[in-house]
Amino acid sequence: MSAQAASPTLPLLSRVPGVAIVLVVLCAIFGALSPGFTTPANIANILTQSTILLLLALPMTVIIMTEGLDLSIGAVLTFSSIVLAVTVLATGSVTLAFLAALAVGLCFGLANAALVALLDIPPFITTLGTLGIAQGLSLLVTDGQSVVGIPRSIEHIYSGTVVGIPLPIVIAAIAYLATHALLYHTRFGTYVFALGGNREALRVAGISVRGMLIRVYAFGGVMAGFAALLMTARLNSAHPTAGIGMEFDAIAAVAVGGTSFERGNGWLLGTLLGVIALGVLRDGLNLLAVPSSTQVACIGALVIVALFIDGLRSER
Amino acid sequence: MKYLTLGAVAALATLVSGAASAGDETIAVFTKNLTNPYFQAVRVGTETAAKKLGVKVIQYIPTKPDSIPEQLSQVEDVIVKKPNAIIFIPVDYKAMVPAVEKINAAGIPVTNITDRAAGGKFVAYVGANDYSIGLETARVLMKAIGGKGNVIILEGVKGSLTNTDRVRGFNDAIKENPGVKLLASQPANYQRLNALQVMENLMQSFPKIDGVLAANDPMAVGAIEALEGANRKAAVVGINGSKEAVELIKSGKLLASGDFNGFIQGCIGTEIAVRNLRHEATPKEVILKPVVIDKTNFGPYQTPVEQRTCPTLQSLSAS
Amino acid sequence: MSTIADKTVRPQLALSHDVMQAFYRLLAVALICVVLALLSDVFLTMNNILNVLRQTALLFLMASGLTLVILTAGLDLSIGANVALSACLSASVIKLTGSPLLGVLTGIGCGFLIGLANGVLVTALRIPSFIATYGMMWMLTGVTYYYMAGETIHGFPASFRHLGSGYLFGVPMPVYVMVLFLLIGGLFAQRTIWGQQIYAIGANPVAARLSGVPVERRLVLVYAMSGAMAGLASLIILARINSAQGDIGEDLTLPAVAAVLVGGTSLFGGSGTVAGTLIGALILTLVLNGMNLLQINSSWQPLVTGVIVLLAVWIDTRTRRIGE
Repeated sequence: MSAQAASPTLPLLSRVPGVAIVLVVLCAIFGALSPGFTTPANIANILTQSTILLLLALPMTVIIMTEGLDLSIGAVLTFSSIVLAVTVLATGSVTLAFLAALAVGLCFGLANAALVALLDIPPFITTLGTLGIAQGLSLLVTDGQSVVGIPRSIEHIYSGTVVGIPLPIVIAAIAYLATHALLYHTRFGTYVFALGGNREALRVAGISVRGMLIRVYAFGGVMAGFAALLMTARLNSAHPTAGIGMEFDAIAAVAVGGTSFERGNGWLLGTLLGVIALGVLRDGLNLLAVPSSTQVACIGALVIVALFIDGLRSER
Repeated sequence: MKYLTLGAVAALATLVSGAASAGDETIAVFTKNLTNPYFQAVRVGTETAAKKLGVKVIQYIPTKPDSIPEQLSQVEDVIVKKPNAIIFIPVDYKAMVPAVEKINAAGIPVTNITDRAAGGKFVAYVGANDYSIGLETARVLMKAIGGKGNVIILEGVKGSLTNTDRVRGFNDAIKENPGVKLLASQPANYQRLNALQVMENLMQSFPKIDGVLAANDPMAVGAIEALEGANRKAAVVGINGSKEAVELIKSGKLLASGDFNGFIQGCIGTEIAVRNLRHEATPKEVILKPVVIDKTNFGPYQTPVEQRTCPTLQSLSAS
Repeated sequence: MSTIADKTVRPQLALSHDVMQAFYRLLAVALICVVLALLSDVFLTMNNILNVLRQTALLFLMASGLTLVILTAGLDLSIGANVALSACLSASVIKLTGSPLLGVLTGIGCGFLIGLANGVLVTALRIPSFIATYGMMWMLTGVTYYYMAGETIHGFPASFRHLGSGYLFGVPMPVYVMVLFLLIGGLFAQRTIWGQQIYAIGANPVAARLSGVPVERRLVLVYAMSGAMAGLASLIILARINSAQGDIGEDLTLPAVAAVLVGGTSLFGGSGTVAGTLIGALILTLVLNGMNLLQINSSWQPLVTGVIVLLAVWIDTRTRRIGE
């Protein structure tokens, strides 16, 4: 977790991260104003709807901690989803389709890694470039149309349950625990923390920064592939615009969650809370039938408020 | 050419009407985005009809325009609230089928308007026949250029059902006129600035353009701006019947615009949804007649949507 | 997004590096022009060249203010939404008052205020520029959608429209505006103290502060300028398409960023030029123009743009290495 200096004026508040405050406040408001909000069905909705974004935000946290960024992750999700659908239609094999989707994600992840680690192109630009490439491929393969007619069995990944818990939540929980273990309980994780704050120390210690970056971006690509599985199952089809903008949502969730762009302070739980906060906001506003234009403004406000609170707490 | 398919059911409906059990029926209306004036007209139509019929409508619009996952999430959220009925324009007519199935599973009656969904069960479909509108509008242009010359098609969003059908209509009208040559068919995403730039680029490659078939009004306007900027003239037609288009028809800059009437669809969709709730008979399908607005009939279209009154099913079947 | 890296500012080498950059880019422009001239016989016509220049002007105006922000190692993702709100407000003012001048003042003023707000978020509230401008983008979009309520405002006086679609001595008006701001921007960045300070902040904020640069004030200034330029761009768009709608400028943000990057400005701050951004905008516009002229399927456009951005920056990174 990040080291936070206590602000002298808000002693209690200073220990609670901005995202947690925002989340609690939102739940309180929506719970009070909207009877349907606290029902199990709605809570399940919020969590299930957040799973795809979480799968993108987890690797994004790690990448941002290395002072990087992956703008391509939404487009890679889209393209993987299309490859999945096309493969299952062409071969009839769901397993092959899954593997194809993961492979596509891995390829893009490695491409990002190569450009960042080997060619030294800044991550923002690299992933902006690969975003265009993935988006372009999606449009070209589908000519703008949805890919439909995939077997119903895929849909069960999204709609199925395990002991009453929706399957996507189980998948997301596993992904979270895996990333958590990776970050906080392995040497690799320690190196990631170091990559962000103290790259020199790594070099001095003889750890290959390049190797690290390759693994980090490859991780992002593979997770995009997993997210593509969920997305395709959710839509029961693939569409070239399905993942548009999700990379920015993921970055926002990570930032709202308290991970800093600059100092390599990463907080994975914060990312989870950030993703849920965004989901709660959308769901709550929909339940209250708040006009869409106001919803749009609220999303921006949430992001700024969360970071404002964090800014109040830590001192330069 | 009558495309209205109501039949005897409509006659029955008029007999049974008036037995409504009013109250706080709530209808959730789903449209594609906040910015296209067409959907605004639909929303105004639903609200006007709702006021008249004594029901409440709530609008659901994705914050990210045309976002498939977001409309899906909104459907899931709305199902929790259990509105009495839903009026649905799918963001993508194929990809939203799972959403419709969820609504069906929840037992909420849903009426489909504008883009015909590729699956799911509906109370009814209200729409216009995009193919016919494209065909009729293009025919007006063919007549105006005397059945011969060079034309360009400006397409809308690739993959959108309205676009595919309208462009098909355009192409068939061109085929009816062997003296007409199609120079190019380029997409401009239903957007004005896009269309302007595409038109500018096309004008470089083709010194002689006699007609422009635009799949919607904003693109037609963009094309007109490009032509004026280059001091060139061509006959331009669009589709939507928007306020701007009507003004341009009046001033002679736009030849015609196909009336793709969001307001009427919103009105009728709401009426059908309400009738269905009140156990009155409803038609399975309402296809609006294709009307092409031009210099001869633009008068009534000058009233802004907010001030118009809703036509009823009855009045539509009578015409 | 800069690392507190051991970047020492070496003015001599920086200058020659910038010259190298400009040289490679102009070479790229020349190459693209030659290829397009060979492939399409309408490319070199006067009309098409003017078209390209006019389209470049729009992209450049959006990207020029953004260049200053990126020079300080910041980012402004709100410029697209800024354009939408500024355009819609200006449109209303013009319609209400009939005065194009008031409309122009509204547009630039609105853009400026938005930029100012961004600056405050970044300096006073200390929110990272990526997130602050991202949040601002959503809020602006919400306000614009609410204000416009799905309608369009159209039909402006000819004197106003001249700004976007008019010609002066046969050259489109936006080109004059582009040249004007190229000069202003270039002079500001290279020849004024404020400009030098902006470079210093980008290269090494700690050192800049220590040497007395009022960092916060300069940062607010660059965001305000980025906003004002977005406001100006919105007026040109308004004048060109003769109408305002809630989603104008939505897809102009990332191309503007791409133009700055292709133009050689580094995301880490401290190096790059406004002239470079112009060349970057020119390269991107030329390629799109070429694809249109050759009637290449528009689905290729994102892919090609992506590749160009990567190429441009890769070349930069290599030449930077050589320079060091």
